[in-house]
Amino acid sequence: MLEVKNMTVFFENALALNNLSLEIKAGEFVGIFGSNSAGKTTLMNNISGLLLHRKFREKAKGGERITIDGKLYFDGEDISPTIPQDRVKRGIVLCRERHPVFRDNTVHENLLLGGYLRSKKEVNESLDFVYDLFPALTRLRDRKSGLMSGGEQEMLAIGTALMAKPKLLLMDEPLLGLSPLMMQEVVQAVKKLSKTGLTILLTEQYARPIMPLIDRGYVIENGTMIVSGTGDELMDNPEVKAAYFGM
Amino acid sequence: MEASVLIFGLVNSATLMLVALGFSLIFGLSGVANLAHGGIYLFSGYVTWMLMNYLGVPFLLAVPLTIIIAGVLGALIYWVALKRVRGLHLSEVIATFAVGVAILELFRWMGFVTYEFTLPVFIKGSVDIAGVSIDYQRLLIIGIGLLLAFALWVFSRYTKMGLALRGMAQDEYTALSIGIDSDWAAALSMALGSAIAAIAAISILPLGIISINMGYEVLIMALAVSVVGGLESITGLVVASIILGFAKTITGTYFDPKWMEVIYLFALVLVLAIKPSGLFGKFKELEERV
Repeated sequence: MLEVKNMTVFFENALALNNLSLEIKAGEFVGIFGSNSAGKTTLMNNISGLLLHRKFREKAKGGERITIDGKLYFDGEDISPTIPQDRVKRGIVLCRERHPVFRDNTVHENLLLGGYLRSKKEVNESLDFVYDLFPALTRLRDRKSGLMSGGEQEMLAIGTALMAKPKLLLMDEPLLGLSPLMMQEVVQAVKKLSKTGLTILLTEQYARPIMPLIDRGYVIENGTMIVSGTGDELMDNPEVKAAYFGM
Repeated sequence: MEASVLIFGLVNSATLMLVALGFSLIFGLSGVANLAHGGIYLFSGYVTWMLMNYLGVPFLLAVPLTIIIAGVLGALIYWVALKRVRGLHLSEVIATFAVGVAILELFRWMGFVTYEFTLPVFIKGSVDIAGVSIDYQRLLIIGIGLLLAFALWVFSRYTKMGLALRGMAQDEYTALSIGIDSDWAAALSMALGSAIAAIAAISILPLGIISINMGYEVLIMALAVSVVGGLESITGLVVASIILGFAKTITGTYFDPKWMEVIYLFALVLVLAIKPSGLFGKFKELEERV
């Protein structure tokens, strides 16, 4: 489904991704683990096209700080030069880190916005699915999202991304800043989602609750892939154990 | 309160609302403070006049044509002058101000400085309300102002496009990640705001002569209403228009008409000094989570 090939990204002369390659097959749940500034968000922004958009924007303003080298293939097609909107149309949807929501809009309006590129029928189907996945959002339907807790906002952010009917859902650190209770709720939702057959690529620093759920995972450090394997293999890896489980 | 103050207060309020709607819409939907607003307003007046007098286009056809041309001009301003400086607020302000001045001074250079430039009214005649004679055009301005404000409120809350534009104004990268094209959205909001400026011009300019200085005055009026009401707030816009519209009428009636135009600047400075977020900006600040 998605192939990231020899991806290298520089922000000026700071290396963010170093010749990184990975592959995700349809229906897989793949995790990317790494500490702060490992390159997780850069990778997600690169796959979603946001990084390319930013590069174009900076270039238009007269500066070129971002260098992107490498290829992205989605369903066999080279999507490296495409804009974010085109990638969403193809089914690549990113739920950004730090529970991004449209704060002035209600929960329902946020969800409707998620279905911006979809037909009315698809939007209605997805609404049912999202409200079913996150029952708390039904209760908060008319609440302004800027007034909700971080956990509720994260559910909404995932729900908004789901409204776009993704084939490949990218989730960038969905557990970041959540309380243990909210974390559990989000993890349960992710588990349910992976069982529906949706292809998921998730980055996370807090690996413990996610690793048992994934089909395969990668560990990156300073933009470089250091370990890869199935969830069980990663959990048995002494380096991973030491870094992520404190064992 | 005298009936004339009430009626002309309402007319002045509606005029202010119409003038500021386009400016406020662009800021609310794309975050751009479009200082070319006065230029676009006057451009629309002159284009209508030129269509009618140079090309012989009937007034009722010249009106929709002007609105479309102004919309295209707004989108063009975005693609040519704003796209590259998007997000750099000071550069956006400088760029739009330069475009606005360029438009106005271009018309001055072309010789549009005499007293022959007037637009016809939609409906001739007047009516007596509580002993006050008021022409239909002024009543029409009230109607158009209210209708447009309501239409925009509905558009920004209940239409897919309106929601998308609001979303883009709040968080560009999140909007991009769900497939909303930021440049398209910003260009569209510029086009819409400019088309509304054209509607305002075609409705208000028939009340007098079209003059270049009006472009600058309109910009000050739009800024005053938007700042007093709180940028991005349609409710604030309506309330500020009523406050400033009545303040202007009362000043003209009971004090000295020469102070009427100063009211806007006074209100602008006062609000910026006491409550910079405007009358209705407060709610947004309180609702924001840290």
